[in-house]
Amino acid sequence: MYKQLKNIDGSIANCIKRIEDEACIPFDLSNTDYQAYLKWVDEGNTPEPADEVV
Amino acid sequence: MALTTVQGQMLTAPLTLTGNLTFSDGSVQTAAASPYVLKNRIINGAMQIWQRGTSFTSASGYTADRWTTVGNSATNLSQSTSVPTVTTGNAFQYSAKVGRTASSTSTLTQLIAQCIESNNCYDLSGQTVTLSFWAKAGANYSSTSNILSLALYTGTAADQGILNYVSWTGAASVSTNINLTTTWTKYTYTTTLGSGILEAGLFFYYSPTGTAGADDNFYITGVQLEIGTSATPFERRLYNQELANCQRYYQIVGVGGCGRAFNTTNFEVALALRVEMRAAPSGTVINDTGNIAYPGVAAYTTTSLGSLVASTTGVALNLVSSGLTSGATMITYARVAGLSAEL
Repeated sequence: MYKQLKNIDGSIANCIKRIEDEACIPFDLSNTDYQAYLKWVDEGNTPEPADEVV
Repeated sequence: MALTTVQGQMLTAPLTLTGNLTFSDGSVQTAAASPYVLKNRIINGAMQIWQRGTSFTSASGYTADRWTTVGNSATNLSQSTSVPTVTTGNAFQYSAKVGRTASSTSTLTQLIAQCIESNNCYDLSGQTVTLSFWAKAGANYSSTSNILSLALYTGTAADQGILNYVSWTGAASVSTNINLTTTWTKYTYTTTLGSGILEAGLFFYYSPTGTAGADDNFYITGVQLEIGTSATPFERRLYNQELANCQRYYQIVGVGGCGRAFNTTNFEVALALRVEMRAAPSGTVINDTGNIAYPGVAAYTTTSLGSLVASTTGVALNLVSSGLTSGATMITYARVAGLSAEL
């Protein structure tokens, strides 16, 4: 399971949070965590929306 | 005239050696090692580097640097000072102890593995390679016939990640079983690899049986994979060199960063990486007490990682804490994140 993240200015961050260990994963195709995320999305899954920035 | 023993004589080239060359330590070489240094494709084969900790229970993921349990949920792995001894003393500082907790009835495969980056294995294509390692069985090793299995997987696409090893493009594998004893022994395995290799993964594993005794583990160290038909002595790297090798895949950052609190909960800091990483790394916060601070005023502790921007040479971390003063300049005093670009 994954969750979107927002930057401090409220824009969507170029990384995704893996909920099980709270790792922030950058959108880099060489990163195997990101490869796993893309595979998960390809399987029809959708990440949870980001929390609002306080 | 065929010579088999020469002592105290000077030999003049050209010389041709046919047959095996036996050294004074008993090792036998059947072909020239090339290259003699920087030959070992395994990083942290001597189990020296443990940035993530030294004991892992029911591990799922990376443990000792570069060694992973490949998602197995029941493998325990810890640093051990049980090491092979040679005539001059300990051959290694540490080994990895891999297996089940006492009284466990799980029969899940106990496994550790290391994935070799494309940059470090592409030239193994079509080559004869030799794997060597030291291993022993724990006193209660439950594998049938004390078997320890090893497998070398290869693929023809670069760096697809070890979790996907069974579905790697062009996946191929070779494997064998050895029968451990409770005495440290050096084992070797020679095989010839296929063509077009751009990734490789080395696996050691066993299938436990029954209820685990006090030491249902195998111990392993001195892992080396090299080109050649026979095992040459283990390539000993200095600690700092091997640490840098490991930091290409995982490193901890924190001390020495300076940034600004954007509000009462978010502090952003940019940090240069100690070693250029294999890929832009994933980040996980490390909540060391008092790891961020207003210099000389007050210390705070991170609670999570809000987001990150990463490249292979640096990261910008949005660290989340509480009670910060908006706009204040802050520094990182201790560890704030572990960064992973593992395979």
